[in-house]
Amino acid sequence: MSRVHVTCTINGDPAEFLCDGGQTLLDALRDEVGLTGAKEGCGTGDCGACSIVMDGRLLCSCLVLAPEAEGTTISTVEGMASGDDLHPLQQCFLEGAALQCGVCTPGFLVAAKALLDRNPDPTETEIRYGLAGNLCRCTGYDKIVRAVQAAAAAINES
Amino acid sequence: MAVSVHLSSNLRGPTGGLAEVEAEGATVGALIDDLDQRYPGLGDALRAGVSVVIDGLLIAHPEYEPLADGAQVYFVPQTAGGS
Amino acid sequence: MTVTEPKPSYKYVGTRPVRHDGLEKVTGRARFAADLNMSGQLHGIVVRSPHAHARIVSIDTSEAEAMPGVKAVIIGDDFPAVEPGHRQYDMCINVIARDKVLYEGHAVAAVAASTRDQAQAAAAAVKVEYDVLPAVLTIDQALAPDAPVLHAHMMTAGANPPAEEPSNISNITRFSGGELDAGFAEADLVIEREFTTQPVHQGYIEPHACVADTGQDGHTTIWCSSQGHFNVRSSTATLLGWETTRIRVIPAEIGGGFGGKTTIYLEPLAVALSAKAGRPVKMVMTRDEVFRATGPAPGTKLRIKLGVQSDGNLVAGDAYLIYTNGAYAGPGGLLGAMTVFESYKIPNFEVEALDVVINTARSAAYRAPAAPLTAYALETMLDELAEELGIDAMDLRLKNAVAEGDPSTMGFPFARIGFVECLEAVRDHPHFTAPLGPNQGRGLAAGYWFNIGESSSATVNLNEDGTATVVTGSPDIGGSRASMALMAAEELGIDPHDIRPVVGDTEAVGFTDITEGSRATFATGMAVVEACRKMVVELRGRAAKMMGADIDDVDWVDGQAVYTGSDGDKDPLSMAAICAKAKRTGGPLTATGSLEAHGAGPGFAVHLCDVEVDQETGVVRVVRYTASQDAGTAIHPSYVEGQIQGGVAQGVGWALNEEYIYDSDGVMENPSFLDYRVPVASDLPMIDAIIVEVPNPAHPYGVRGVGETGIVPPIPAVANAIYDATGCRLRDLPMSPIRVLEAITANGGSNGS
Ligand code: FES
Ligand code: FES
Repeated sequence: MSRVHVTCTINGDPAEFLCDGGQTLLDALRDEVGLTGAKEGCGTGDCGACSIVMDGRLLCSCLVLAPEAEGTTISTVEGMASGDDLHPLQQCFLEGAALQCGVCTPGFLVAAKALLDRNPDPTETEIRYGLAGNLCRCTGYDKIVRAVQAAAAAINES
Repeated sequence: MAVSVHLSSNLRGPTGGLAEVEAEGATVGALIDDLDQRYPGLGDALRAGVSVVIDGLLIAHPEYEPLADGAQVYFVPQTAGGS
Repeated sequence: MTVTEPKPSYKYVGTRPVRHDGLEKVTGRARFAADLNMSGQLHGIVVRSPHAHARIVSIDTSEAEAMPGVKAVIIGDDFPAVEPGHRQYDMCINVIARDKVLYEGHAVAAVAASTRDQAQAAAAAVKVEYDVLPAVLTIDQALAPDAPVLHAHMMTAGANPPAEEPSNISNITRFSGGELDAGFAEADLVIEREFTTQPVHQGYIEPHACVADTGQDGHTTIWCSSQGHFNVRSSTATLLGWETTRIRVIPAEIGGGFGGKTTIYLEPLAVALSAKAGRPVKMVMTRDEVFRATGPAPGTKLRIKLGVQSDGNLVAGDAYLIYTNGAYAGPGGLLGAMTVFESYKIPNFEVEALDVVINTARSAAYRAPAAPLTAYALETMLDELAEELGIDAMDLRLKNAVAEGDPSTMGFPFARIGFVECLEAVRDHPHFTAPLGPNQGRGLAAGYWFNIGESSSATVNLNEDGTATVVTGSPDIGGSRASMALMAAEELGIDPHDIRPVVGDTEAVGFTDITEGSRATFATGMAVVEACRKMVVELRGRAAKMMGADIDDVDWVDGQAVYTGSDGDKDPLSMAAICAKAKRTGGPLTATGSLEAHGAGPGFAVHLCDVEVDQETGVVRVVRYTASQDAGTAIHPSYVEGQIQGGVAQGVGWALNEEYIYDSDGVMENPSFLDYRVPVASDLPMIDAIIVEVPNPAHPYGVRGVGETGIVPPIPAVANAIYDATGCRLRDLPMSPIRVLEAITANGGSNGS
């Protein structure tokens, strides 16, 4: 089977990779590009651990075929910090102990950033519904929601 | 060392239902040997995964645990956990 | 935080520094097991049984072996034979079936190929001929007189008289105290209730995964995510019939376990495939496999009878508990028996608990195994008694709660415990008296878990610049690196961020038992403290040399060696100064602590839950939640709160939604997060965690395990709240909308009580 050549932009840098036609974008990012920040918790679009943003849309990368990434702009958790400066969400997750095992964290950070980009000052309910596509089994969500609130406040202040 | 031995109720078969018995031993292992002499079969029951509580301390593998004279030794089922 | 006793003032213990592994985890750099790739690696896939119960007639791997990219195929016969009676017989035949499959999803073969697609295709080409047997899927089926017997060797342990025929009952546990009949005779009110619950999954977000690389020297290295890599090593060695020294296990980050990663599934298969193929083999379960083949917690049938006097004194309790443990013997009933009456003073009691086997996946531990279900039964019944007697539910619990010196149902007197303090913390919380809205109800419930100790090791190495590395053998499943660093910081007197906490592999640190029973911060923490205390003695000795003083005249204060002798003034020496001279004072500074921890203190928790019930649809929403728990001493309060909050969320899911659903052949019908619905953020409110601190006398900092108790009270708290809102008692889990609606309808519409 000949492989598909994909050219796109990932976290601001031009990127190319070869993939199988039936490969998911999640697998391609993890196995071909070497970005393992996005995780596979289910492979069926139900857990959000694989969240990425593609052309401005929050997606489960396990539900996207890798060749569909051709010509798109993708951001993953690996692109959230700029240099040594963490994104306020990352900082607030750390300070607020919003992660326990941490396997859901990349997905939550990407989804929370997409939420704040869309709605810079969400209510608690908006945060809860905005992140309802992401499963966390460790935290009970309390500290995650608080971290997103804190990050929104920090961003709005700056 | 004479100690008071308390058996959780699932361990009382060999003692004919007695919950508390007296026995001797400088360690829990020696105590179990002595108990087996007095109540044949109890030794096997106590060696098959039993913990003890001595002075409020739960001890999971007590064979060589030293015993003071007059100690109160509670034999309880061994526990397992989850996370 | 409620501090109940004066305690020493600590500088670092009890603070909330950013965790040491946090940066890697928020930037996507942390390496979980599935993130690891070896050059030249193959992909392994497990061939699983489609039948719940069948004899394996034959397995033909020839077609699979001839397929493109396939490098190795293995079946059960490739492993050493095991016989019943072998210490880990169940584990061995669960990892790969031999003559019989015992549940849908049971592994029968495994394939390694260059790509995952090739391996999948080859797995589909492995031909297994089955002789399908009738499946035993429920407790009633398992106990029926003519039930098919899963294990021909299973003679009920604890049966009296001894069992003569094999059966599906692996174990009977009996506990008693006092005189049951006399106890009930003293009672003014007696109620008896029955409950049923279904198996649920731990639901960790990271599926099981590992990579094994077996060299030509017959040694293998396994990278995997588990709750205990020493256990992975010993179990894998047992299954393969190898010496332990041939196996090194390197722990990857673990993406949740909750008890479900205390056993092994993939590792011996990956090692065997790798040995056969001569290449590294990576295996990652799909979510579907995780559901079908790993972890559920037991389902149950429970019958409890309670007797109480009109003043609220509990006088008698009789419990008959049946737990399913999946296809193999398990401890569900035993643990249920050990927890059911443990929280309250009930002078006359009898407990009989049956552990039964059925044709579903082998149960694994799940946070405070068995206890949430006995609490569901007991704590909802206490509410009924309170209502009947006209006594406040809180007062009834306060009146009967066990405290220091009261006998446990196992016979021993409790040491210092914090149950009453947890009850009071909730009673005194504003939530307790806050008004409720329409269709809302409030439920109170308590929970208990005994916690465990076991073996732990730690090594402290001081670095040339005066910083420290603390190596332990406990995988960090929820912030334990940070708590190890905090305890080491307190002992050594240096900043926690000058300490690097590391989870060492099986060749880098001494033996350490599984992270289970809420033991990491307790037991491994004790090992860290022991190592640090040895290190402080060593540091004082080195400083004494440098000062030209006697070691007895040198104290360790706030990270410095301070001269206390009478030979004039000597400048204190910092850790960095001593480390800089280490070569001249005796060489590298390193100390170890290894111990079997005694005295894990029991943990208690008390929860208060408000729900709102949609009377039209039966949908229950949790709208407010407050949870108190005795942590002994909270080393890092944020992660203690996190354990409590996580337990609540899991318990709420267990109460309202989660259950395994099988078809009549024993095929799981909901093996995805779409159909097995765990709570999401929009299902829950904030969870107010109150940390109660009644120090555990057996731990140098007073720690009690906190990982498990928090999952015990939520089910009854939710059930009691539903009753308060609707007047309906739900005694079957889950309390799904359809069940709630049926109950409301049967009760004659809303608030029919
Ligand atoms: S892995 Fe994509 S949603 Fe779960
Ligand atoms: S922190 Fe473990 S799943 Fe969210």
